[in-house]
Amino acid sequence: MTDLATLQITGRAARLTLNRPDARNAMSVDLLDALHARTDALARAEAVSACVITGEGRAFCAGMDLKAIVVGEGLATPDLPERLLTSIAELTLKVRALPCLTIARVNGAAIGGGCGLACVCDLLITHADAKLGFPEVDLGVCPAVVAPWLVRKIGAGRARAVLLRGGVMSGAEAAAIAIADHAASNTEEMDAAIDVIVERITRAGPTALAATKQLLNTLDASLDPSSVLDGAKLSASVVLGDEAQASLRARLR
Amino acid sequence: MIRVEDAATGVRTITLARPDKRNALTPEMLRAITTGATHPPPAINAIAITGEGKAFCAGFDLRAHPHQRDHAFIRELISELSHTILALRSCPVPVVMGIHGSAIAGGCALLGGADLVLAERSTRLGYPVLRLGISPAVSAPFLRLATPDGPSRALLLDPELISAAHAHRIGLVHELINTNERLHAHTLARASALASKPPAAIRTTKAWLTQIDGLDESVARDAAEASIRALTDETYALLEQEIWNR
Repeated sequence: MTDLATLQITGRAARLTLNRPDARNAMSVDLLDALHARTDALARAEAVSACVITGEGRAFCAGMDLKAIVVGEGLATPDLPERLLTSIAELTLKVRALPCLTIARVNGAAIGGGCGLACVCDLLITHADAKLGFPEVDLGVCPAVVAPWLVRKIGAGRARAVLLRGGVMSGAEAAAIAIADHAASNTEEMDAAIDVIVERITRAGPTALAATKQLLNTLDASLDPSSVLDGAKLSASVVLGDEAQASLRARLR
Repeated sequence: MIRVEDAATGVRTITLARPDKRNALTPEMLRAITTGATHPPPAINAIAITGEGKAFCAGFDLRAHPHQRDHAFIRELISELSHTILALRSCPVPVVMGIHGSAIAGGCALLGGADLVLAERSTRLGYPVLRLGISPAVSAPFLRLATPDGPSRALLLDPELISAAHAHRIGLVHELINTNERLHAHTLARASALASKPPAAIRTTKAWLTQIDGLDESVARDAAEASIRALTDETYALLEQEIWNR
């Protein structure tokens, strides 16, 4: 199970990789368990100043694993969607609380909860052709866990427009509304841009970095768990509704 | 002066239809918008709001009841405006607003009730009302949800108008449309697209966003009160000079 997420630490830099490339790194309970374990290890690695979070293969993360949220025989049990969503919610809180700078390297599709995980990071760097977004409403699902994070990142007004419109956008469009902090023209330039940031931050003062991050988390109440955990319950109740189940089951085929 | 029409697409259209006055708002018009946004029938899954004629909305109709020492008419307008914006936020289905020409003062404030704002490129927006001794404070809590403190202050404290492109950059407008002819069609198309999405997911998502976006309704009421308290003899003198005696 631990292979589903890998953590590499080199000096003051770390790399956390979602490693389920054959499923576009979709969030299954097992993948999330692995991410939780790796994030806990990262939180204990006091020497780390910067962590790049990315996906193995072509996608960053395709969002929730459909098999974990479509209820039925050979599929999910009715308690599974809430467990999965709560695990995602807890993971976002854990990633946000890391004292190091987190950089989402959005190498490809970052959809729904996957885009939410990227938005929890301090910086989101991608390339112009990556596909990002929150198509939850199109599938009959409510993006309640990611909503508080998106509101913090781009403001309540834009978050409203993005989440209600649904669909996906290009990396370039994501940069225009500040979902992405930078959209490079291709993967090589994206990696070069990330290397520059990692290099810069690993030379900076780690105490000052951690203090700054802690203050920012305090100012926007990032570590208050209530809105994301309530969001997980709300989202699970919508997922279990007939409207969502019918539409998700159709996608599974 | 307000037209409410329900279409088979599940879209309710609310049209500001007082083109000879550039859709200047009266308390009755604001109440009609509030009613249109309150408890829409279950078959309605989105609301589209546009203005007829040359402008979306020129703000309050300050000529309707001139020379009132106690500003009763303006007080009523401010209070109704606040109610309307809150009603649009509480409305269970998404609200798409299509603006063109100008969205001034109360007309610009209405954007605070929209989930999605489309603007024709030549639209001018802003709050020139300090020139009349009227405070746009009523809008501040809603504006702060759309754009950060810096642009909010600039817009409320500097009576100059801004372009649609600038409004788009600061997040007040979400989509720019090239011509007036296209604006209406695009606004309806966006509303129909929202209306065709799974309704429970859309309604739950809008309600959740309204719950978490941090606006306390008592703050909105206090903001309206602040605008009302700022109506003084100074306002009266400026209105005489700039509007009523012109």
